[in-house]
Amino acid sequence: MTLLPLDRVQRWMHDVVVHPGTVAEALASPAAVPAPAERIEDVLLPSATLTAAERIGIYHAMYPLRMGEALSSDYPALHHFLGDAGFAELVRAYVQAHPSRGYTLNRLGDHLPGFVKTAPGLRRPDFCHDLARLELAITEVFDAPETAPLSEAAIASVPPDDWERAVLTPVAAFRLLSFRYPVNAYLQTVKDDNHDHPKARLKDTWVAVYRRDYAGYRLELSRTAHDLLAELVAGRSLGEALARAARTGGRRAPSEHELFRWFREWVSGGVFGGVTIGSDR
Amino acid sequence: MSNRWGLPDLGIGVGLRTVHFGHILANRPPVDWFEVLSENFLDTGGRPLHVLDQVAERYPVALHGVSMSIGSTDPLDLGYLDKLKALADRTRAHWVSDHLCWTGVLGRNTHDLLPMPYTEEALRHTAGRVREVSERLERPLVLENPSSYVQFAGSTMSEWEFLSRLAEQADCGLLLDVNNVFVSAFNHGFDPLEYIAGIPADRVVQYHVAGHTNKGTHILDTHSDHALPEVWELYRRAWARTGPTATLYEWDEDIPEFEVVHAEARKALEHRDTPARSGTISAAVAAR
Repeated sequence: MTLLPLDRVQRWMHDVVVHPGTVAEALASPAAVPAPAERIEDVLLPSATLTAAERIGIYHAMYPLRMGEALSSDYPALHHFLGDAGFAELVRAYVQAHPSRGYTLNRLGDHLPGFVKTAPGLRRPDFCHDLARLELAITEVFDAPETAPLSEAAIASVPPDDWERAVLTPVAAFRLLSFRYPVNAYLQTVKDDNHDHPKARLKDTWVAVYRRDYAGYRLELSRTAHDLLAELVAGRSLGEALARAARTGGRRAPSEHELFRWFREWVSGGVFGGVTIGSDR
Repeated sequence: MSNRWGLPDLGIGVGLRTVHFGHILANRPPVDWFEVLSENFLDTGGRPLHVLDQVAERYPVALHGVSMSIGSTDPLDLGYLDKLKALADRTRAHWVSDHLCWTGVLGRNTHDLLPMPYTEEALRHTAGRVREVSERLERPLVLENPSSYVQFAGSTMSEWEFLSRLAEQADCGLLLDVNNVFVSAFNHGFDPLEYIAGIPADRVVQYHVAGHTNKGTHILDTHSDHALPEVWELYRRAWARTGPTATLYEWDEDIPEFEVVHAEARKALEHRDTPARSGTISAAVAAR
């Protein structure tokens, strides 16, 4: 029997448990030193019914399941798109590249959008990248700090002549995204258990993800509405943002009616959390 | 007998789970207390924390964690401990518990409750860390006995001896999970009654009861079902030693409606006062 120091026992067991191959491969790998396969019973005892390798195999088998469950919880539409086998393969590769380094599994998937873009062998990586970005935004918005939406009193306190210089700031639980694929529509069909999914074909789409009263919302935007909202989120005054939208929008420059409708929707939806009056330029 | 810190018997509790949030807020069920999974509330400003604040206003709570990794050879995560203390203060938690285990090394977390080798080195190492954590949290740490699927050849003492000496050396409390005792007894072939008898009763501040999944060659601690009569029998025997102690039913997979979980938890009241069942535990453990 080998009495290994605690740190070596833990290093060994960790490396075997997280190994992406079979238990036999894990025990035969360089990570299994100082307890290679032929000496595993120097470290672990067999039971009456299981060998030492079968016993550590229980932990080895549970590791990818636990990681997969956590990632599936945050990326249900990506899981749906890839199917069980494809998603399991993605999880296996992802946690090798980005193992959990924190005390919570809630942050395990933070690198997944970037990972899927270049993951070898992944079906439709560009579509998966967009879908993962949307799902990550949803989890970020879910956990973001609660900040009060702009009140009617705050809006009323802005003198009409000052609105041009008004700078609107979004609530903390807000993300603005643009995509090359209709991933929000895809996500909705998954949520609705509707199997008539939109095709993963190129189609520019724009979405605001935000939370109000602890409930999450996704708002599909036109390109012009997205661009205007992006200017505001970047900290430009309302007048400046409108002027830039008119310049860059060309024929798609928003009409007064559209502007009124958008602002009513954004303000009532709780997108904005504050308003300040900027200085004259 | 009550525990040495005078921590209260909170009664019959249930784990606070997301699927029950709506029911709990809408119906204010007459449950005695809630156990809160700490890590689910440390880094969120969203609905979970909003719900927890309301629950903590109305019910006693205790925090129960899975990521302290008290037995790991990695340094303690002081940032985690500070957030944990802040959450305990925010919810006025009666105590903070975690598991006798390690979850990872080299800065990586498997998010599994990996077992310790029960050696003098591991005992010294863990006791020092428990003392450090208790100081940081400004309250005694409460440690739960794990369920496990491996035994280390280098162990020089039983799990219950390790736990007893650890509790003494580090002056910590114990959360006695009678289902884990049953699971590990089945998997490793020890007598669960010897385990129960070997635990220092005055350090037990809480019980866990749960269901498990028998795979034939081993038992998995799945928290997915009703508890077996043998597990309740262990609870009854332990209760006879400790006296009134907070009891919590864990149900984490295939979670049924709140009333079903609460009814299962309340079975503790019946089992405490029933006569001893002869032979059921040893027969169950021997059936392997």
